[in-house]
Amino acid sequence: MEKSFFSIFKTFFKIGILLLGGGYVILPLLTSELSEKKGWLTSDELCEYYAISTSLPGVIAINTAIFTGRKLAGTKGALASVCGVITPAFVAIILIASLLESIVHLRCVQYVLWGVGIGIITLLFLAVKEMWNKSVTDRYAATVFITALFLVLVLKISPEYVIIFAILFAVILQKVKKYKGGRQ
Amino acid sequence: MILSLYFKLLLEFFKIGLLSFGGGYATLPFLYEIAEKYDWYSIAQLKNMIAISSVTPGPVGINMATYAGFSTSGILGAVIGTLAIVLPSVIIVTIVSKIIDKFKSNIYVNAVIRTLKPVGCALLSAVLIKLLFTSNLQLIGVLFLTAFIISACIKKKDPLFYLGTAAIVGLACGYLNIIGV
Repeated sequence: MEKSFFSIFKTFFKIGILLLGGGYVILPLLTSELSEKKGWLTSDELCEYYAISTSLPGVIAINTAIFTGRKLAGTKGALASVCGVITPAFVAIILIASLLESIVHLRCVQYVLWGVGIGIITLLFLAVKEMWNKSVTDRYAATVFITALFLVLVLKISPEYVIIFAILFAVILQKVKKYKGGRQ
Repeated sequence: MILSLYFKLLLEFFKIGLLSFGGGYATLPFLYEIAEKYDWYSIAQLKNMIAISSVTPGPVGINMATYAGFSTSGILGAVIGTLAIVLPSVIIVTIVSKIIDKFKSNIYVNAVIRTLKPVGCALLSAVLIKLLFTSNLQLIGVLFLTAFIISACIKKKDPLFYLGTAAIVGLACGYLNIIGV
C-alpha cells in the first residue's frame, strides 16, 4: 500500500523529535514506530537498512530514514522521511542559536560552558574508545590507524584527503590481492 | 559576495555528507577543519554546539550545518547548510537501495569499509587530542576529566549525566573562584 507524503512526514517528524543526543537511537525508534505501531515494515528490514547505513557516508540516522522512506513510497517517501526527521533538529538549533548569542557573555553561562567542556572531552573519549574496540581488531587496522593519525596530526593533511587516500589505497590493495590470487 | 558564501556553505557541508564515514561524531574532524579555515564559527562555539547537540534532537553534523548557516547568513543560510549535508545521503542511498545485494557482497566495498573504520577512529582521535590541548582546562579541570574518564571506564552512563555533572562542576568552580574563565 502506498503511503501519503504527509503521513510519512508526520511519522518521521515524531521520530526526529525523539532523536536526542545523536543518531544511535534511530533503530529502536523506527522499530517501535514503523514496525510495532504501524506495521509498515518488519524489524528485520529495518535492521538491514540500519546495517547498510552504517557503512555509507553521511549521517547514519538520515541514511536509515531515507532507506525506509524509499521503501514506503519511492522518491516521494524518501523526501518526506528526510524532511520530517531534520525539521525538529532545524527548529531547535535556530531557537537555541538565537538564545545563546544573547546569554553567552553572562558569568554563570561562562562557568557552565567551561564545565561542559570537560563533559564534551569525556564523551569524545568514550566515542573514540568504542570506535577503537570495534575497528582496530587486527594488525592491518592498527597500521591504518597509525598512518591516518600521522597524516592528520603531524603532516596536517585535511580529513577529506585522508579519506579519499584511504579509499584508493583499499581498492588498489584489493586489486593487487586479486591479481596475485589469480596467478597462483 | 553573499552568493559565493551560499556556494561555499553548500560545498563544504556537501563534502561532509559525502566523506564522513562512521556516524555519530564522524563529522567532527570536518567541522573542526571548517572552524580553522573559515570564520563561520569558532572552536569554542563548536564545543558549545557538541554539548547542545547532545540535549537537542538530531545528530551533531546536522545541528552544526544548521548553526553555521544560520550564524553566517540567517535562515536561508541555515536551510542551505542543512540541505547540503543530507543531499549526498539522498543520492547515495537512492543508488545503493537499487543494488543492495550486489553492494553487500562486493569485495571492494568490504575492503574500503574495513579500511575506513580505523581511519574514522584516527580522525576522531586527532580531534580529541587537539581539543585537549586547546581547552582552557586548568589543573582542576584535568583532575575532574580524569575522574570522569575513570568512572566511565568502570561504568558508562548516559551522555546527559556527564554534561550535567560537568555543568555543576563548572558553576561550583566558577563561583568559588578556583578557575579563571
